[in-house]
Amino acid sequence: MDLTDFRGAYCTKLLADLGAEVIKIEPPEGDPTRRTPPFAHDEPHVEKSLPFLYRNANKFGITLNLGSSDGKALFNKLLEKADVLVETYPPGYMASLGLGYEALKEINPSLIMASITEFGQSGPHRDWKGSAMVDFALSGVMIESGFPEKPPCNLPGMPAYDGTSVMAANSIVLSLYDRGVTGEGHYIDVSVRDNARVAIYPWAVTIQSYNAAPGGPPPAPESRMGPAVFPVFPCKDGFVRIIAITPGQWNGFLNALGKPETLCKPEWGDYLHRIFHVSELYRVAVEYTMKYTMKELFEAGDHFGVPIAPVYDVAGFVNSPQTKARGFFVEMSHPVIGKFAYPGLPYKWSETPAAIERAAPCLGEHNEAIYCGELGFSRDELGALKRAGVI
Amino acid sequence: MRKAPLSGIRMISMGTGGVIPDCGKTFGEFGADVIKIESRMNLDMMRSFGVNINANYGFNEVNRSKRSFGVNLKTEKGKALVMELVKVSDIFAENYRVGVVESLGLDYESLCRIKPDIIYISNQGFGRGGPYSGYKAYGPLMAAASGLLRLWAQPDDPYPVGSNTPVPDHFAAKHAVLAVLAALDYRRRTGKGQNIDMALVEVGACAIGDCYLDYTINGRISTARGNRSAYTSPHGCYRCKGDDQWCVITVNTDEEWGRFCEAVGHREWMQDLRFADLVSRLRNVDALDGLIEGWTRERESVEVMNLLQAADVPAGMVQRSAEAQRDPQLVHLNAFTEIDHPAVGKRIYPNVPFKVSGMTFPGSRRAPLFGEHTEEVCRELLGLSAAEIKTLKDEGVLEG
Repeated sequence: MDLTDFRGAYCTKLLADLGAEVIKIEPPEGDPTRRTPPFAHDEPHVEKSLPFLYRNANKFGITLNLGSSDGKALFNKLLEKADVLVETYPPGYMASLGLGYEALKEINPSLIMASITEFGQSGPHRDWKGSAMVDFALSGVMIESGFPEKPPCNLPGMPAYDGTSVMAANSIVLSLYDRGVTGEGHYIDVSVRDNARVAIYPWAVTIQSYNAAPGGPPPAPESRMGPAVFPVFPCKDGFVRIIAITPGQWNGFLNALGKPETLCKPEWGDYLHRIFHVSELYRVAVEYTMKYTMKELFEAGDHFGVPIAPVYDVAGFVNSPQTKARGFFVEMSHPVIGKFAYPGLPYKWSETPAAIERAAPCLGEHNEAIYCGELGFSRDELGALKRAGVI
Repeated sequence: MRKAPLSGIRMISMGTGGVIPDCGKTFGEFGADVIKIESRMNLDMMRSFGVNINANYGFNEVNRSKRSFGVNLKTEKGKALVMELVKVSDIFAENYRVGVVESLGLDYESLCRIKPDIIYISNQGFGRGGPYSGYKAYGPLMAAASGLLRLWAQPDDPYPVGSNTPVPDHFAAKHAVLAVLAALDYRRRTGKGQNIDMALVEVGACAIGDCYLDYTINGRISTARGNRSAYTSPHGCYRCKGDDQWCVITVNTDEEWGRFCEAVGHREWMQDLRFADLVSRLRNVDALDGLIEGWTRERESVEVMNLLQAADVPAGMVQRSAEAQRDPQLVHLNAFTEIDHPAVGKRIYPNVPFKVSGMTFPGSRRAPLFGEHTEEVCRELLGLSAAEIKTLKDEGVLEG
């Protein structure tokens, strides 16, 4: 059972992708994410929010007013049959509805309930507010993102929420496995505050502690080293990114560019020299990288043993022969939007093929299937519940 | 005391770099016995950075809570020993370049013959199959090839530089953990193992799914927005007092805007026609961001964050690791742990970041030295005598 908004929608999507029957429960007016732009055909519409469509694929959708006592009764009936409940309300909100873990455990003793919150269920910042970019700033990755002379740069999408969602999904499947062995349910407290750091890039604190040797000099300041560490060069039709750290990789890079004399000078062979003279290296190398296309450099990198990748734009990835060969995009049909290609799953399974099988549900699309099919209500009763504002 | 959730589960991890080593570490932290197969001739790339193969920070972070089994995989006897370990294991995980496990006879089909219910996970940059499957590919390159890097930029940047962090490696490691846990639960219910083929570039793609839909539905190719939002303002990263100090502020509603103006002591901004409503704030975003930065520059980033959060306005300092270590909420959440290691001493590592009631994790153990557990694993799991172990060491089959 899925009571998440954008903070946890990727968590329940991951579980739905692997075949769990995920029932997304929305208030009768819909998950607020449905009003989040951009929209299909640029038309604001509850069925057309792209962030919603992406993160709710493979789920079933029903409406339910948890604020009403009839709604709570329905919720509890559904809960009897559920294995997992995931929710993203502020700390204490579910308990204030009488739907806290202790109460729900009475109804379903082996329930696994995961609460995803911005800052956790307790602690001095428990009630603080987050957002995609605020949480990314706190994750420790942003200070290392962008150019050193400019402000730190945001990572697109909702990396802090999606990263936290993967961690939450891990904690849930771990609990399911454990329940299979012990029979016991669990309550799981997942904060974006701590989980986003671990899911996106957990090394900053460890690196700092390695640099801060006892009695030694203070660690180097954390800053934005992207241009030096993972350089990007423009080429004929876009950009490429290059990893030339080892001597072998650097030689491969020289070969890929046709051994230009100015770059073959021995001082450039020293990795630290390249790091400290990154602007100069850029100026020298760009003259040669501009002679080639992304594809030419990509293939030359493979041939000469230096990892080079094209910096694709969105269309470049969608239309790449690799993406097509793996069948990453899957065409789906949506009752309001029509046919379009959905991004798929990042893994392929030999025994339990997992795939995008249905588009995100329309608001209340599965009310009849769930309330009549699973809970045994008649269609008349369903109509009555709808008129009373319960669903 | 209750057992750890994965106690009794064994994983053979043939990982290099970040993704599969981190997946293995996570299984170790959940209580599984994780054995890292290591070879001097083909070291985990993280061991090869720096002068001491036991002292790399990244290696020692993602290889905690496992044992190191040193073996020469170029020898038939060495391969046979790994096959014997597979027979008493549940999971095999690898992320070498396509072709490596095949050449060693450690591919899924080969392992299936001796351990039919093995759970096998591969992670390659471009995945298996397709024209670029064999290409060398690290996380930062897969950020590029997925389209993610192109968007990780300010609109006026000369080129998209993203970051010096290896995104999406850790994001991928956590997807690998999910996949293996799910396969393990499937095996618990059905007795069947399986093969999972993960592509790092596709994990990167999963971080920007909305943008693909904007292309496949609307035909639009997303461009970099940097720190601004097309839909709300203020939404930015503002310079604060001090050297390279910043705070992110995002205001989503008119109520939040009102609280923001009160909190910064500029109620007059609410009356200013340039900022009176959302559309006006978006149109006059340069002027507004300038005024806000005038205020933030006089204050430390932590002060800006605390003051705005006290007014219920989402704000977060662009935090560095030293600040993270003393952040009251992260301290409360027990985010970090100190672990001693013979090669590097006491260092700080992240803890398991979620809390599960009634579940005990065994506590993080330091990363192994190269081949530290070779003999222990031979005795315990392969039933070899001291004399046999000595012979295999002398023959160069065992390393450690």
